[in-house]
Amino acid sequence: MTVTAPPLLAVRDLTVRYGAAHALRDVTFDVPPNSALAVLGPNGAGKSTLARALSGLVPPVAGTVVFEGRDVTGSTPDAIRRAGLVHLPEGRGVFPSLTVMENLRMATACDRRRRAAAVDRAFEIFPALRERQRQAAGTLSGGEQQMLSLARALMVDPRLVIADELSLGLAPKMVDVVFESLRRARAAGVAVLMIEQFASRALGFADHCLVLQRGRIAWSGGTDEAGPELLSRYLGDATAA
Amino acid sequence: MLSYVVAGLALGAIYAIAAASLVVTHVSSGVFNFAFGAMAFAVARFYYFLYVEHGWPLPLAAVVAIGLFGPGLGVLLYAVLFRHLRLRSPLVRIVATIGLSVALPPLVNLVLGQLVNVTAPGLAPQPVAVFRPFGTVVDMNQLIIYAALSVVLVVGTGLLRYTDTGLKVRALVDSEALTAMSGVSPTRVSLGVWAFSALLAGLAGVLVAPTAGLSVDGMTFLMAAAFAAVVAARLRNLPTAVAVALAMGVVTSVIQRYLDADSALSAQIVPSVPFLFMLVFLIAHALRGRAGDAPAGGALDRAIRAEAAGAPTATNRSGFVAPLVTLGVVACLPLVLDDFWTGLTGTGIALATALLSCTLVTGEGGMIWLCQITFAGFGALLAADLTANSGWPPLAAVLVSALCVVPVGVALGLLTIRLGNLYVALVTLTFGLLAQNLVFLRDRFYNSGQGIYMPRPEWALDNRTFALLALAVFAVLGLFVVNLRRSTAGLAVTAVRWSEAGSRTLGLGIVPVKVLVSAVATFVAAVGGGFLALAYQSALPDSFNPFTGLVWLAVLVTVGARPVVGALVAGVAFAVLPSVFQTYLPTRWAEVPVILFGFGAVMLARNPEGIIAMHARQLRDLSRWRQSRREPAIAQGDLA
Repeated sequence: MTVTAPPLLAVRDLTVRYGAAHALRDVTFDVPPNSALAVLGPNGAGKSTLARALSGLVPPVAGTVVFEGRDVTGSTPDAIRRAGLVHLPEGRGVFPSLTVMENLRMATACDRRRRAAAVDRAFEIFPALRERQRQAAGTLSGGEQQMLSLARALMVDPRLVIADELSLGLAPKMVDVVFESLRRARAAGVAVLMIEQFASRALGFADHCLVLQRGRIAWSGGTDEAGPELLSRYLGDATAA
Repeated sequence: MLSYVVAGLALGAIYAIAAASLVVTHVSSGVFNFAFGAMAFAVARFYYFLYVEHGWPLPLAAVVAIGLFGPGLGVLLYAVLFRHLRLRSPLVRIVATIGLSVALPPLVNLVLGQLVNVTAPGLAPQPVAVFRPFGTVVDMNQLIIYAALSVVLVVGTGLLRYTDTGLKVRALVDSEALTAMSGVSPTRVSLGVWAFSALLAGLAGVLVAPTAGLSVDGMTFLMAAAFAAVVAARLRNLPTAVAVALAMGVVTSVIQRYLDADSALSAQIVPSVPFLFMLVFLIAHALRGRAGDAPAGGALDRAIRAEAAGAPTATNRSGFVAPLVTLGVVACLPLVLDDFWTGLTGTGIALATALLSCTLVTGEGGMIWLCQITFAGFGALLAADLTANSGWPPLAAVLVSALCVVPVGVALGLLTIRLGNLYVALVTLTFGLLAQNLVFLRDRFYNSGQGIYMPRPEWALDNRTFALLALAVFAVLGLFVVNLRRSTAGLAVTAVRWSEAGSRTLGLGIVPVKVLVSAVATFVAAVGGGFLALAYQSALPDSFNPFTGLVWLAVLVTVGARPVVGALVAGVAFAVLPSVFQTYLPTRWAEVPVILFGFGAVMLARNPEGIIAMHARQLRDLSRWRQSRREPAIAQGDLA
């Protein structure tokens, strides 16, 4: 008999409301250590809200979030980040007026002792950033900004990375780079919660899958069970492709 | 010439310190600190308390006042006020700091005692040493000012550019959410910024005291002048702010060389220089379309904020009992009170008419105009001039002069139509200060402070009849406002207020709507001003000071900027409460109502609706709670 390890992230009955509108209702799931979970769903299903609620940006009205055995429900985003959960937000998660180097310094602001090593590692993962280290992040190309955003997460040994639509608006080659670096992170023991509108690549990457619809979990299970007919039923033909 | 430049640079350096502090707090915390002058006064007054009144050694007094008390004040104010403001609407953000600027100085006076003599020493040891390099005169105070600016610039730039702390501040300017998600607490960074800003405010206050005097007015004027540099810098650009501040100081000083020091013109032009600077830069920015509301933070911050705000709740306008009762109570006051209190009530009702214009323009139109008091002043002076010098009947004079003021308001409305909220507030405040300096203080109107005699109509000479007349006028205008609100035009105003882009897609013209609001509001303000002149029986330019206008707005918004009776309650409270305190309490408590008005506005940071709306909601909640308790009981009864 195998002893199952306690989950890295345990979410129970998470509910988020914007005014009178429910954005998330009674969402419950686990993320085991060193696993990857794909969160799928059409526009407005509550995927980004889920990510923001987990990282403390929007307060939940009910439910609990337990990260590494610690209840972090209602904690501030900075406390959650220091606990080891890194959220890469939708869009470009960089400080546009700071230089590349300053962005990397900000990423290590809560652990200054290992800064030099972490910056070296960032340049090792994405050598293109080394040449641009004095350039303002806002002037980088979209792909380079996404690299920088990813580097900010991968340079610091997080326990869990929430990647919100990282491949959105990127050239196919850059999408490959993004998935490749997330794969390497997993190999190093980092758990990944991946939010995607385009399902097939995410399913190829993750071991578990969660389909959100109008703020509720419509389906969840292993990625091997998520066949094409199930996805087209929930997501429509266009997004399931 | 050189000596003018030397003196001008000293003034400019103080402006620069103030402007730098305003810019840094604005970009890092999204709050434009209208209370900067009040904070400067508080610290300078405390320094005076230690150094002069208690004979502490100068360095110790300076370190304790500027280095400890100032940052401490900043931290305290951040904890109780500024922290709550980031997510509030622009109106609340502006009015809450205005409230603080209203409440803080009298509070300081209450604790440390009112100063009779406003001359104060700076940071130079007494007697002040004087040097004569290159045939010009420089005193020790000026040298210390230059040194202070240099230190602030070097230390400030060094901190911002090269340290981790500075990096965090700059990151916070880019995006609060991302900063937090980097594991850095935005609260702690903001706390540091406000402490530093308060330190600079204190420094500016202590440095300016020897020349401008240790008075609230002096400090507030300093701050208002520094606004010009901040506007020139488009609220964000630190080097531009410092450069323009220095230029402003030099121009103010050099211009005096070419003006006759004793002439009335010079006395008007010199204090107006910063405001003329601001006007020039504003027009330049507006023409280039670069004076809109700067988006605060990054895309993520805006997304979170929009979601947190949710949909605006519909305002409940059903009740008409409470307004009628309020109107009835105020109508009874002149009938039961003695002549003194009736006179005050009449003044309060006249003031309520002027405040009604703020209800219209700010509460209804969502435009933050800080110059309604100036329109009232125009109305008052013009009406008094027509009555006293041309022999017009008083009421006709009030009506006609109010109509004459309308084009001024419309012009201002058209000028500011494309500006962001904060710019509109700054422009209108500047307009008020310019009007004060260039028009109200002219000898023709000022008359050594006595103003122009304004007789009441012969049938309303006694206070009781006048109060009832003023109330009738208020009721008519109030009814007009209520009707306007319910009309299609009123709906258009509300639509434009909530979403300009949305209104455009409906085919609503923004320009006609805003012109309508500003025209009606200006008319109402001018009528109110005319009635204030009738109440005092004189058009007193001093009572239409724009800084008093800030108190007006603080009182109105505290009571509630949207209900029409809010203006009535606010006006009567503003006129009557101070006298209640003066009559029935020791004289040192006379300023307490002003402190209360200010703190009322400060409390908006927590309850953005105002007192009336808050109590109305609490009453509704209470009745709903009682109903919900009764219902289960009835249900049980049914079962039985």
